[in-house]
Amino acid sequence: MTAYIVRRLFATLPVMAVVAIFVFFLIRFAPGDPAAIIAGEDATAEAIAQVRMKLGLDRPVLEQFAIWSLQLLQGDLGISIFSNLPVTRLIAQRLEPTLALTLSTLFVAVALAVPIGVVAAWKARKLVDRLVMGFAVLGFAMPVFVLAYILIYFFAVQWRLLPVQGYAPIGEGFWPFVESLILPSVALGVTYMALIARITRASMLEVLAQDYIRTANSKGLATDRVLLLHALKNAAVPIVTVIGIGIALLISGVVITETVFNIPGLGRLTVDAVLKRDYPVVQGLILVFAGAKVLVNLVIDISYAFLDPRIRY
Amino acid sequence: MSGAPGPILEVRDLHTQFSTLDGVVRAVDGVSFDVARGETLGIVGESGCGKSVTAMSILRLIPRETGRIASGSIKFEGEELTSLSEEEMKRLRGHRISMIFQEPMTSLNPVLTVGTQIAENVVRHLGVSWKQGRERAFEMLDLVRIADSRRRLDEYPHQLSGGMRQRVMIAMALSCDPQVLIADEPTTALDVTIQAQILDLMIELKEKTGTAIVLITHDLGVVAETTERVVVMYAGRKVEQAPVEALFEEPLHPYTRGLMRAIPRLDVEADAAGTRPRLQEIPGLVPILTQPIVGCAFAPRCSFATDRCRNERPPLVDAGAGHLVACWEVDRVRRAA
Ligand SMILES: Nc1ncnc2c1ncn2[C@@H]1O[C@H](COP(=O)(O)OP(=O)(O)OP(=O)(O)O)[C@@H](O)[C@H]1O
Ligand code: SF4
Ligand SMILES: [Mg+2]
Repeated sequence: MTAYIVRRLFATLPVMAVVAIFVFFLIRFAPGDPAAIIAGEDATAEAIAQVRMKLGLDRPVLEQFAIWSLQLLQGDLGISIFSNLPVTRLIAQRLEPTLALTLSTLFVAVALAVPIGVVAAWKARKLVDRLVMGFAVLGFAMPVFVLAYILIYFFAVQWRLLPVQGYAPIGEGFWPFVESLILPSVALGVTYMALIARITRASMLEVLAQDYIRTANSKGLATDRVLLLHALKNAAVPIVTVIGIGIALLISGVVITETVFNIPGLGRLTVDAVLKRDYPVVQGLILVFAGAKVLVNLVIDISYAFLDPRIRY
Repeated sequence: MSGAPGPILEVRDLHTQFSTLDGVVRAVDGVSFDVARGETLGIVGESGCGKSVTAMSILRLIPRETGRIASGSIKFEGEELTSLSEEEMKRLRGHRISMIFQEPMTSLNPVLTVGTQIAENVVRHLGVSWKQGRERAFEMLDLVRIADSRRRLDEYPHQLSGGMRQRVMIAMALSCDPQVLIADEPTTALDVTIQAQILDLMIELKEKTGTAIVLITHDLGVVAETTERVVVMYAGRKVEQAPVEALFEEPLHPYTRGLMRAIPRLDVEADAAGTRPRLQEIPGLVPILTQPIVGCAFAPRCSFATDRCRNERPPLVDAGAGHLVACWEVDRVRRAA
């Protein structure tokens, strides 16, 4: 198994290399001259040329690429044009809120959706099941920002239980940190919850009709063991797949999410960097996002091998 | 075996029904039989005659959404099973009455090891530790003669052949020393040599442990080789019952006779696929179970049928020496032999 994991890790390197090449040239060939934008609206041609030289943009593209790749291999993503700070440091500063929000959303979604889906399948076509599925349709149809404003209105404005928006770093106390995450996580998580609950139910229903579940029941096993071990482990592959897709969507969605909830994370950093054409930062961010997705994909793939012994590795 | 006198299992006038879109399916329509301690009872009949539903009724594993035991009584060691709570039923299943199924390829959980699947039964019912449960699983694999049993404990079902999986099912079913083992077509899906090995193993273990076996099959050859007494079912009803020698000596029900004629000769057995053909060679079709059956269920296919057969249900009568038959025309059938 360890050998398999190491092998899969190495297999991600070419993917990351392709992403890196793509990112570099995409930015270079995008319309608009970064030097002109950076130099300002009224800048003379001379001033623009100077900026270009300072940024190294006057050199041949391949040479720029060689320098950039060498730095990248050393973990150096370059220097921000505007703040003159290393891109790695900028990203590291903004990583915590994004990571915290993504993980807490995921936790809210998975921790509720999987048990709900299991119960719905177990009580298929009974009242609980109908309620759960009704909620799932509603949750899936509800736009995040509508739900967010409803939640903020009641929990923050009317009842004053939770902060309206903003982010409290974990370093400034655990409870304020958790409180700042609750509303955004729930608002964001409901869609995924609905999706994961539906898949869990469907996958469980299929498994519960299998012969080996009849065998488990013929052994008089306790209901929770039949449901949570015999059935859920067999139903897990599609569920885990959807959770993986959910994570990928969450990562792509941080730009919007962080704007809605006023959270100073990577999403906001991205917006700022794009508007200012701070292309070293943009490059760095795209690489980080792509890397995160490749990693999620890898973890999901590896989890298949743990869940189903028939999957060869 | 020792213990209280009387049968270990008594099924009386069992009716099990399913609600379907086509109406109520009377899958089991008034079946009664006893199972004596330590005996091997065969239940035979064509496909769809209600053998599996009878077995599932005894364990109360009929799917609750569509099916139910409409009436009748099932007593195990004198205790009425139909009125037990689900929790009480669970303590019995896999412990005192256990079951093995036809499909060895799909009856074991693909994502749990063989050792876990046997051990969990023991841990659940005998209240031992997992370590002891595993030890018991190891003993059981040895008992069903799976080679290299220590290593097999940690293998998954897909690493075993069909015959080996059925051995694992037997090991699992016998792991808590049940009083009754219900085997629903345990060898139908296996090829002939493996079939014989599995049946021999079941009989050998039965003799060792004193477990009574209810062997469900559509194969009269299997019945002849392994059982002591036979119940013949047709369209959800018991039509004949006899000690195995008596049944083969003189089958009294026209349906049983039809089955016997359809029996594959054991010395010529096995087609290309290695299995014996199913017993469907009696002309005509099995009745539709959603319509209430008036008279004898076999009448449409029976060459002895009279008007009385079509209008009045024949009662089960004792034709002597524990040979029961439900047929109005027994005397004519006898003479026709
Ligand atoms: N869940 C169910 N819903 C509706 N009808 C059912 C259900 N299970 C069984 N039946 C019906 O009950 C009747 C008896 O089925 P059963 O499975 O007991 O037959 P069997 O004798 O075991 O046949 P086989 O040799 O094919 O296994 C059949 O007509 C079948 O269609
Ligand atoms: S009762 Fe009549 S129809 Fe039924 S088996 Fe006997 S002879 Fe045939
Ligand atoms: Mg059957």
